[in-house]
Amino acid sequence: MSQEPIKSDKIEKALALFKKRMNRQAVLSFGVCVHCGMCTETCHYYEATKDPKMAPAYKADKVRKIYKKHFDWTGKIIPSWVGARDIKTEDDLKELVDVVFGSCTMCRRCTFNCPMGVDKALIMRTMRGVLTELDLAPQGVKDVSRDQWTIGNQMGVSDEDYLETIEWLNDELKTELDDPSASLPLDVENCNMVYAINPREIKYAPMSLLAAGKIFHAAGESWTLPSKGWDNTNFGLFSGDNALGGHMGKLVFENVQRLKGKSLVCSECGHGYRATKWESPNWSGIILEQPIYNFLEIMVDYVKSGRIKLDKTKNTEPVTYHDPCNLARSGGITEEPRFLLRQSIMDFREMYPNRADNWCCSGGGGAMSMSEFSKRRLEVAKVKADQLKATGAKIVATACHNCVDALMDLIRHYKLDMKVALVGELVANALVMERKAIPVMPAYAADSFLSGFRILVTDDEPDMVAFISAVLGDHGAEILRASNGDEALSILRKEKPSMMTLDLSMPGKTGVEVYEEMKNDKFLKDIPVFIITGQPELRKLIYDGSYPPPNGYVDKPIDEEKLLLNVRKILNLQHEKT
Amino acid sequence: MDDFLKFLEDEIQIIALSIMGIVYILKVIWLLKFKPIIEKTPAKGNESVGIGYSFMTIAMPWSMESSSKKFHKYLEFVIFHLGVAAAITASLIIPYWPQVMENGMILAIFQTIIAAAFLVGMIRLIRRISSQVMRIISSRDDYFSIILLNVWLLSAFFAIPNKNYWMLVAFFALTAFFLIYVPFSKISHYLLWPFSRYYLGKTLGHRGVYPKKTGS
Ligand code: SF4
Ligand code: SF4
Repeated sequence: MSQEPIKSDKIEKALALFKKRMNRQAVLSFGVCVHCGMCTETCHYYEATKDPKMAPAYKADKVRKIYKKHFDWTGKIIPSWVGARDIKTEDDLKELVDVVFGSCTMCRRCTFNCPMGVDKALIMRTMRGVLTELDLAPQGVKDVSRDQWTIGNQMGVSDEDYLETIEWLNDELKTELDDPSASLPLDVENCNMVYAINPREIKYAPMSLLAAGKIFHAAGESWTLPSKGWDNTNFGLFSGDNALGGHMGKLVFENVQRLKGKSLVCSECGHGYRATKWESPNWSGIILEQPIYNFLEIMVDYVKSGRIKLDKTKNTEPVTYHDPCNLARSGGITEEPRFLLRQSIMDFREMYPNRADNWCCSGGGGAMSMSEFSKRRLEVAKVKADQLKATGAKIVATACHNCVDALMDLIRHYKLDMKVALVGELVANALVMERKAIPVMPAYAADSFLSGFRILVTDDEPDMVAFISAVLGDHGAEILRASNGDEALSILRKEKPSMMTLDLSMPGKTGVEVYEEMKNDKFLKDIPVFIITGQPELRKLIYDGSYPPPNGYVDKPIDEEKLLLNVRKILNLQHEKT
Repeated sequence: MDDFLKFLEDEIQIIALSIMGIVYILKVIWLLKFKPIIEKTPAKGNESVGIGYSFMTIAMPWSMESSSKKFHKYLEFVIFHLGVAAAITASLIIPYWPQVMENGMILAIFQTIIAAAFLVGMIRLIRRISSQVMRIISSRDDYFSIILLNVWLLSAFFAIPNKNYWMLVAFFALTAFFLIYVPFSKISHYLLWPFSRYYLGKTLGHRGVYPKKTGS
């Protein structure tokens, strides 16, 4: 490792920023640790690896050393006595990036197990903020933060894309419910609820927004999506940038005020809800007059007041629930999802430990956007994988889009026989409509709504090519097939299909390489790509920002309904009822 | 009683205690100069209840996985801190109410607690040296503090019968050093602990996280 001295102004800046960020709670968390080691086994990074360097106290000490050098009375005079140390080299800064971004999801599990009340997440976030201001945050964090600053949402969804998707989903909802009065209202003033969502719902998981639409419709709610300030997620929480945190909160709050909504409801996103309800008001200084709720709380109210009725026989598979850290340990929401699941599924199986003691999904703290740490993330997810497996459930429900992605990754990595669903999706599936029956899942016509479209299916597994081709072909698409990257590129150049499905992990030229080559080719770059895999490389494509993200993805084993819904979204098609 | 010992037991302790008190006051003033993070949001839970719960975790080993799964460590914590409290109490009893320790039962109770605390202290020291994780997180202050406390507890054990002159000298000399050293070492954690638990409890109570919902 090189030990090049870094420019002193950079060190000075780092220290100045560190000092500026010091507040009473941080001083206490830095100062009160007695190195008792009680928190060691409560961190999934340590528990999965048994690496002493993954012990929470060790990781916190990497930052604490700097505090000791500059704040601790003894540390200032006899640094070596209390382990005080300054930032001296480039490598020190790199090591800090690795520790605070790559070795901690800021899940707070260790905090809850520390007799002294040391908040390691606060320690990590303090240093994350310093490194972010020095432009040293991981690329994925920088890219997502930039999109939130400049475009107003974390996935860089343009206004046009957002409006088109809402319009498309609006028609979907009407068709699915066979009810012209059903809608995803946009920018309606004086509603009871303004609904802020996770951009993943627009980009990759329209099912969840559709589910919310069904539930609101069934409850006869007066609600609206805002055309601006609709992203409830907030990378300021992860990057440590309070200014970004305040900016995102302000965008959401101002639009609630603009629309004169009576309340703000956050869709199922753990950190989004925490940031919007608990952190952004502090960062932005805006205290919304209107109450802020989580969608789970709203659904509970609907069930308890009889505004929606649920039929649990519609969800027969065994389901367990994963408590998102930001809801259970930092948001105060643990019982609502359990109530809803017990009302909407036949077989609920508690996961142990649970609630505020639950293990992190391993994708928190923005980890999903940091592809350089994917290997470690999946390694430490072993703890979660074992916990999931022990439940014997076939579906793991959660209330956070970020957890959904992390759980899908680990389920595939550890080859678990499980699917992931949001609580709202299961509730929507169990809905009993008074007027018209809601199909349990969208019933697509086995006819030709894809006719006229040519779709290239690329996968090295013949079974997978056969399955996808059959599903899309049954609906009228003309199918082109490729079993490797080179073949796919050659067909793309020759045939210019309407879209392609792409497996990421193929021998030879990988899906990522094919994708990058396409995006660098002016004739191919506009062909929509639908990724069929859940390899961690997918996160790189979504978050790294070097190329526009893919138009959609679905995990293996493929859920036929999700595949069709996404393909229709990409091609901007409405489905036809059988 | 020898004048030197009397001076050591009385005036020196008062001076050392005063120094400790002054440093503590300065430390609290210093701490309060840092602005706290203020929760401006409307509360979902109850801050006072959260604060109460946060403090009570010390007496609820079942509330933390770290102490419920490793109950022996919790027991060690209780015994060690009881021993320290007993030794401190003894340092006040011996100079001012020496007759108390003439009661054999009381003396035996004190000595038992202090001996148990010493044993726990030794276990803690051995663990700090032998466990890779503990070694990697320990500073010189961590080692010195535990050794200092162990030696002090040992001296307390032999000093409190109030018979052995040199043991009394050792105990009170160590106590005086201890009082002056503590505010500059990790042992001062008990000064920051109430603040730390207060703020954690306040935030988590505000959000309705504390008292922790059970189920696991
Ligand atoms: S449990 Fe708390 S005091 Fe003990 S090592 Fe961990 S952070 Fe430090
Ligand atoms: S906050 Fe979570 S990930 Fe970070 S050190 Fe603590 S337990 Fe580990």
